[in-house]
Amino acid sequence: MNDVSNVSDSVKRFKWVGTRPIRPDGVPKVTGRAQYGADLKLPGMIYGKVLRSPHAHAKILSIDTSAAEKLPGVKAVMTAADLPQQKFDYIGPERVAVNFWHVTRNIMAREKVLYEGHAVAAVAATSNSIAEEACALIKVEYEVLPHVIDVDEAMAEDAPLLFEDMITRGVEPAPTKPSNISKVLTFAMGDVAKGFAESDVVVEHEFKTAAVHQAYIEPHACVAKFEADGQCEIWSSSQGHFQMRALTAQIMGVPLGDLRVTPAEIGGGFGGKTVTYLEPVAATLSKKAGLPVRVMMSREEVFRASGPTSGASMWVKIGVKNDGTIMAADGIYKFQAGAFPGSPVMNGCLCAYAPYDIPNQRAIGYDVVSNRPKAAAYRAPGSPIAAFAVESVLDMCAKKIGMDPLALRHKNACRIGTPTLSGPKHAHAGYIETVEALMKHPAYQVKLGPNQGRGVASGYWFNGGGESSATLQINADGTVLIATGSPDIGGSRASMAIMTAETLGVDYSQVRAIVADTASVGYTHVTGGSRVTFATGTAVVNATKTAIKILCERAALIWGVDPEGVVWEDGHAKPAGSNVGDFKPLSLKELAAKAAATGGPITTSAGVNAGGQAPGFATQFCDVEVDPETGHVKILRFVAAQDVGRAIHPSYVEGQIHGGIVQGIGWALSEEYIYNSKGLLDNPGFLDYRCPVASDLPMLDAVLVEVPNPTHPYGAKGVGEVCICPPMAAIANAIEAATGKRLYDLPMSPPKVLEALSA
Amino acid sequence: MKPARVVFTAGFAARYTNGVREFEVTAKTMRDVIKAMDDMFPGLGFHLEEETTLAINGEYHETGLFQPVPPGAEVFFIPRIEGG
Repeated sequence: MNDVSNVSDSVKRFKWVGTRPIRPDGVPKVTGRAQYGADLKLPGMIYGKVLRSPHAHAKILSIDTSAAEKLPGVKAVMTAADLPQQKFDYIGPERVAVNFWHVTRNIMAREKVLYEGHAVAAVAATSNSIAEEACALIKVEYEVLPHVIDVDEAMAEDAPLLFEDMITRGVEPAPTKPSNISKVLTFAMGDVAKGFAESDVVVEHEFKTAAVHQAYIEPHACVAKFEADGQCEIWSSSQGHFQMRALTAQIMGVPLGDLRVTPAEIGGGFGGKTVTYLEPVAATLSKKAGLPVRVMMSREEVFRASGPTSGASMWVKIGVKNDGTIMAADGIYKFQAGAFPGSPVMNGCLCAYAPYDIPNQRAIGYDVVSNRPKAAAYRAPGSPIAAFAVESVLDMCAKKIGMDPLALRHKNACRIGTPTLSGPKHAHAGYIETVEALMKHPAYQVKLGPNQGRGVASGYWFNGGGESSATLQINADGTVLIATGSPDIGGSRASMAIMTAETLGVDYSQVRAIVADTASVGYTHVTGGSRVTFATGTAVVNATKTAIKILCERAALIWGVDPEGVVWEDGHAKPAGSNVGDFKPLSLKELAAKAAATGGPITTSAGVNAGGQAPGFATQFCDVEVDPETGHVKILRFVAAQDVGRAIHPSYVEGQIHGGIVQGIGWALSEEYIYNSKGLLDNPGFLDYRCPVASDLPMLDAVLVEVPNPTHPYGAKGVGEVCICPPMAAIANAIEAATGKRLYDLPMSPPKVLEALSA
Repeated sequence: MKPARVVFTAGFAARYTNGVREFEVTAKTMRDVIKAMDDMFPGLGFHLEEETTLAINGEYHETGLFQPVPPGAEVFFIPRIEGG
C-alpha cells in the first residue's frame, strides 16, 4: 500500500460528496449504445449452445456427441470430460469458501444431473440454429432417479440422495449414514431456556419462504477468444471480472496470467452474477474451435439453470417481558442449497437477531441439498429469509403485550458494544437511529381505513470490505481518469468520480471514472456484499491522495522549495506559509501541463484490503389494503429508513433502497418457483414468475439516516443489500393488522390470503 | 503491553484447539496473533488464514497479517461463508 499518511484531506467541507451530479454512464445506456454481454461481435465469431438436462435427477449412463460433431457448421462440442478434475476442498478468497469439485459439476454435469436445466454438453457452430440442431443430435442416456424439491422432504430419512457419500458436517459424532444435509451450524450465547423461563410472553411459530430469483433483466452472456498460444480473452457480464477470471482459470486449469477478462455493461446482478456458468464453457469451446465463441442464456435457461436464493423452512421462538424487554430468541433455519452445498444459512443465523440486544440467543442452521439449481447470492444472502420469521414473531410479541412495534424495537435496539451471536460485539451504531427516524415520520401517524393495516420490520446485513484497486491518471489538460476494477451496477462510476473530485478539490466534470479490465487495473473483488463504495472508494481516495503528494512535489520543484513547504487546497498547490515564499498557486491544469518537465506522467495506483466496514441497518413500515374478495394485497405506502453512513450520491442510494423494497415486495407477494410432480419448473419466464411492475407500487419513501462510518474517508457504509431484509415481514405484519390473519408462508399470494381469510 | 484476547467459535475450537475457545497473546499485529497461535497449535495458522474472517474489537476484516492489534483488543475469528 502507498504511504499516504502525511497527506491530509484536501477539503474541510464537502463540495461534491452528497450531491447528485448526472451519471457518467447515462448517455450510452439511454441511447442504446452501451455494450452488454450479448452485444459484442468479433470477426469470425461462432455461437455456443448448452444442452441441458430434461430430468430433475438422473444418472448419466453415456453421452454420444458423434452425430452432433458431424453436422455441417459445427466447430466444437464439449462435455465435462473437456474440463480437468477438481479436488474436493473448500477454498477461496474473501469471506466465501468455494468447493471446485462442486463448481465444475455445476458448470457441466459428470456422474449425474441434479436438476432440470443442469448443463450436460455444449456445442459451438456457425449459427445459433445449427448449434441448437446439434444439441438435439447429442444422445444422452439417462437412468432417471427419484427427486426431491422441498427442503423438509429433502431432510427426511427416506429422501432420495443427491450425493450417496454426503456425511453431514458440524455434527459430533459424525453420522454414519449419508443424507442431503450438508452441514449443521449451531450458534448460541447465554441460556435460552432460562431466558424463556423469565419471559412473560413467549411466541413461537413455523415459517416457509420460497426460492426466488434475482430476476436481473439481462440474461448471462459472454464471448471468449482462445488463441493458439494459450492466451484467452473473455468479455462477460458479471459482478466481478476478476472473479470470472479466477473461476474460469481454476475450472479450465490455466494460469491466471493467460486470461484477460473485460467487463461488459451489466443489466442487473443482485448477487446472481458473482458466480460463473458460461465463461469456462465459452472459453473451452473457443479453444477447441479456434474461433471466438459467444454463449448466452435464454430467459428460460436463466430460471432453470442459474441460482435463485434459497427457499427455507424455519421455526422461531421469542420471549419478552411485559415491558417489552426481549429475554430470549431461538430458531431453527433450514435452507435449500440447491443441487450443491452452500446456502447462505450461516448468514441467516448470524443476522437473525443482530439488530437487537438479547441476552440469550440460539440459531441452528441446516444447509440442505435438493434437486433445484444451486443457490446463488441474492442481496444480503440469507438475512431477509431469517428476518421474515424473526420480525414476524416480534410483531406477534408486540401485539400480545400491547406495545407499538417500533417502540418494542427501540427498547431492544443494539448499540456499540452489544454482543452478537457471531461472537464480536457491535462496533458501529446506526440501528436505533433508523427506528427513531420512522417514529418521527409523519406518515407513521396517518390513520388507516377498512381492510388496511400497517406493518413494521427491521433488518441487518454485515456489509463487505476486502480487496480493491484503483489507478489514477492526470491528463495533460488537467482532466483526471480514475480506473477501478468494480463493475458498475449501482452507480459506482459516479461515486468514484465524486470521491476523486472531492479529494482532489476539482470539478466533478474533470473526472472520468471507468471500469478497467483485469490487465489494466489491480485485483478487485466482486461488486457485491455492499462493498464497492467502501472498499473501492477507499482505494480511489488513497490513489488520489498519492497523486496530491506528487503534485505538491512537482510544485515544490517549480518553485525551488522543499516539498513540505507545499500544501494542496481547492485543487491548487499553494505555499504552506509566508515563510515558504510568495508564489501564485498552481492549478491542477498548470501542473499537468508541466508534467513532462517535472518528471513525467502523473499516474498513481492504490490497492487495499479494506476492513472496518460498518454493517447496514434498516427499519421500514408499509401500509397495505387487502381485498377481502380476491385476496389481492395492494401496497399503499412504503417508508424505509436506512443508515447509509454518508450518502456519496444520494440519488443512487435512494435507488438502491427503492430496488430492495421492490424486490422484497415481489418476494413477499408473488414470486416463487413452481415445480410439477416430475420436479420440472413450470414457470420459467416473467409471465408466470411474477415480479412487481410499476403499476403494483406506490411512491417509495427512502429516508437516509446518516451515521458516518469513521473507517471510510467520507463515512460511507454499504447500502445495497439491507434494504431487502425487512419488506417480507413488514408486509406480513401489515396484512395481519389489516385482516387479523397472519400468513406464515411466502409468497402471500391471493390464493393464500383468501385461504387465510376463510379459515 | 496488555495482551490481546483471541476467541474462536465453539466449532472451530473443537476442530483445532482441543475445544479451548479463548487465549491471551501479546501482539502488535495480526501476524503476531497468527504466529502465536500457530506456535501453540502447529498448522493452525494455515487454517486461520484459509477458513476464517476476523473481527478486531468488533470491526470486521479479511483475515490477514497486516492489521494492527490495539493493546487489550478482542480478536474474534469467525468461519468463512461457504459459497458453493
